[in-house]
Amino acid sequence: MVVGSVSRGCQVVVIGAGPGGYVAAIRAAQLGKDVIVVEKTPRLGGVCLNVGCIPSKAMIHVADLADEVQNGQKMGLTTEGVQVDLPKTVKWKDGIVRRLTGGVKFLCEKNGVEIVHGEAAFVSDRSLTVATEEGPLEIQFEQAIIATGSRPMGLSGFEHDGHTVIGSTEALSLQAVPQRMVVIGAGYIGLELGSVYAKLGSKVSVVEFLPELVPSLDREVAKALEKRLKQLDIDLYLNHRAERFEGGEPGDVVAQGPDGEIRLPADVVLMSVGRVPNSENLGLDTIGVATDAKGFITVNDRMQTSVAGIYAVGDVVGGALLAHKAYQEAKVAADVIAGEPAAFDSMGIPAVIYTDPEVAWVGLSESEAREQGFDVVTGTFPFSASGRAMSLGATDGFVKAVGDAETKRLLGVVAVGRGVSEFIGEATLGLEMGAFLEDVALTIHPHPTMSEALQEAAEAALGQAVHMLNT
Amino acid sequence: MSFIFNFPDVGEGIHEGRVVEWLVSEGATVAEDEALVKVETDKAVVELPSPRAGVVLKLHVAADTAIEVGDPLVTIGAAGEAVPETAVPAPKVEEDRVAVPVEGLAPTPAQGTRRPLATPRTRVLARKLGVDLQDVRGSGSGGRITDEDVERAASGETSQAPQHSPPAASPAAPPTGRGEVTADGEVERVPLSHLRKVIASAMHTSKQTAAHVTHVDEADVTDLVAHYRKAKPAIEDQAGVKFSLLPFFIKAVVAALQRHPQFNASVDEHAQEMVLKKYYNIGIAVDTSEGLIVPVIKNADRKDMVTLASEVADVASRARSRELRLDELKGGTCTVTNIGPLGGVFATPIINVPELAIVGLHKIMDRPAVVDGDIVPRKQMYLSVSFDHRYVDGADGARFMTDLVGLVSNPGLLMARL
Repeated sequence: MVVGSVSRGCQVVVIGAGPGGYVAAIRAAQLGKDVIVVEKTPRLGGVCLNVGCIPSKAMIHVADLADEVQNGQKMGLTTEGVQVDLPKTVKWKDGIVRRLTGGVKFLCEKNGVEIVHGEAAFVSDRSLTVATEEGPLEIQFEQAIIATGSRPMGLSGFEHDGHTVIGSTEALSLQAVPQRMVVIGAGYIGLELGSVYAKLGSKVSVVEFLPELVPSLDREVAKALEKRLKQLDIDLYLNHRAERFEGGEPGDVVAQGPDGEIRLPADVVLMSVGRVPNSENLGLDTIGVATDAKGFITVNDRMQTSVAGIYAVGDVVGGALLAHKAYQEAKVAADVIAGEPAAFDSMGIPAVIYTDPEVAWVGLSESEAREQGFDVVTGTFPFSASGRAMSLGATDGFVKAVGDAETKRLLGVVAVGRGVSEFIGEATLGLEMGAFLEDVALTIHPHPTMSEALQEAAEAALGQAVHMLNT
Repeated sequence: MSFIFNFPDVGEGIHEGRVVEWLVSEGATVAEDEALVKVETDKAVVELPSPRAGVVLKLHVAADTAIEVGDPLVTIGAAGEAVPETAVPAPKVEEDRVAVPVEGLAPTPAQGTRRPLATPRTRVLARKLGVDLQDVRGSGSGGRITDEDVERAASGETSQAPQHSPPAASPAAPPTGRGEVTADGEVERVPLSHLRKVIASAMHTSKQTAAHVTHVDEADVTDLVAHYRKAKPAIEDQAGVKFSLLPFFIKAVVAALQRHPQFNASVDEHAQEMVLKKYYNIGIAVDTSEGLIVPVIKNADRKDMVTLASEVADVASRARSRELRLDELKGGTCTVTNIGPLGGVFATPIINVPELAIVGLHKIMDRPAVVDGDIVPRKQMYLSVSFDHRYVDGADGARFMTDLVGLVSNPGLLMARL
């Protein structure tokens, strides 16, 4: 008991109100638990709603729109000088964020979840303190769910100053389009935001330490993506180690490559080299919650940590740092607390990169399937053969279905192309339902859509594609 | 060179079965034709022999799992070939998701490893019932594990756990149902056994195709019973088994069939031909705890009474322990069902298709009868023959039955016709 503090009791306390935290809180409340959610920042929704998934998609949409309008001559669309009023765009985006975070607050309140703002730290395995504006609040709980998320990783030599050397958060609120932007790290965040500014008129360069874009991505997909990035006049410096930023007018990003040192002038340097878990300052050591070498909290498939009654979900437990993974883990944790036989046993976690073209995948890639000893069969349908893709002026990319040659079971799907994010959920459902290639091939897909390519890819894997020649 | 032995098509349209027990273990050396595994099919537990000599490298299915024709059963390597450490490479566990050493909890499964084919809903059910899906064989399309498979696995476990009975060759425990309360009252739901489904299907087919008609007559078996009682001690002495009246009736039925060949026949529907069998394989309906099983006494016309007695005792006992070989259930030409000991006046059995007739033996009772003008107590019974009226006329039925009644009423005549 902290002297002079106010004490409260609840059944379940949730630390963090991002996608993991607010979903866990709402689900636990729906299951009849008395729930308090503790959020460090003034707004609910976490990175996803405030400075991640949603605002970035708003900016990407504006950039795509500007790019399409300017490149619509072939379709008979003539425009003169598309103007991007970035402050207005940012304001529009902020409106979306406000609406969504307000929606989360509404849902929490209507489900009877109490919201406390402030930083939490465990005192024992049954109590924690929250440093609120009004002073310390002690909360006694029966179970706790840690959902504190992750934050961008820093890189020595690049001191974050919030205006020249920035992270993804600031990149979503720039007031002017920088003339030259250097992106450090060719992961999905760097590529998404790099593409946005390239379309808005920046000269964008990407420096990546590894020899490939988005490591672990299907190589054919990476190639298709690379082709489009080059069309957008984005310079890719793979195999280059970013060493430092030297200030000046403009400053230079200094990087070491296979052919020696390079210097890239930059008005803005966007850092996107990875994310680290927010697992410090929580008092995890005090209560003995185990973490791995990188600081991610270790959990089992029931989201239980090494301490009984303490659960963890979302980015802070590692794996795929994705909001929808956090949602699922959050529901599992709440269900387990409520005594349900829940476990995180999904057949696949879909992933999307909102580049142009979009990249989406779920399940096993071709190479992963081979590594696991499957005799692999694949079927690929290119969007260059799709009527819908042509009518959108978006014939880049393809859908590839990966199956087990022996049983014809669907193992995974990877897609690159316009709007593929919208139908990767279908492939995920297929995996969860244990679909065979025939199941996908025999499912009527609406024509004309981009999603037809999934059916054709499954047919191609069976040697039965109609709208292209089978190989 | 290793060789994968798949569940072979053992004939008679059998497509699925269940592994009852492995008779070999991984690493064992097997000779060609050495029994590898006991598999339960429609009506029998079959021992599958090894198609070649070698070393058992891998058993692909666990005991008590369902299999279909073509499913891999066992990998047999050349003699001396090393047993691989593990057949499947260990799944790669992502560094960030290493399992936590929390006591009593399963570690996080690595994403994307070979997982049983089951929908999320079925997986939840499995967790609820405490069933490990890795141990369940799916009966659904492409091996999908259905809710029913999970429920079966759950009930199988609970009914076996407290019994300590050896898993093989022992009659299975009666299936344990699960309670349910409906609007009309409490019920117990018991999953249908494989055997029950087979019986149901066979009965349905028979009733749907054959035009069943039953002819019943009464026989005075006083003399036969007297004859039987005289012969019994001697025959039991020779056969070493309990001697019942059944072998006499089998002999009588065979003798009647020889005179009335359309009752020892089937019909080739495709060729539109009657197939009159020149051999006499008599099916004997056996009541077992799990359901009706009909082993076949082959060439009953050529076997003496002692042999028949021991064969009947043997197949009946092995039918009850589910140890019959598949070929002991095949090739019947006519069936005898002995319902008498269980009571009743008479019944109308269902024909064991593709046979055309089934003879029912009913209860022997002391009844008043008129013999030479006097009312005297006699041992009497009803005999029935149910036959497919599409191919056998009622008059034939009457003639067959009159002959059979004559044979069992007069042991002297029966002896003459043996």
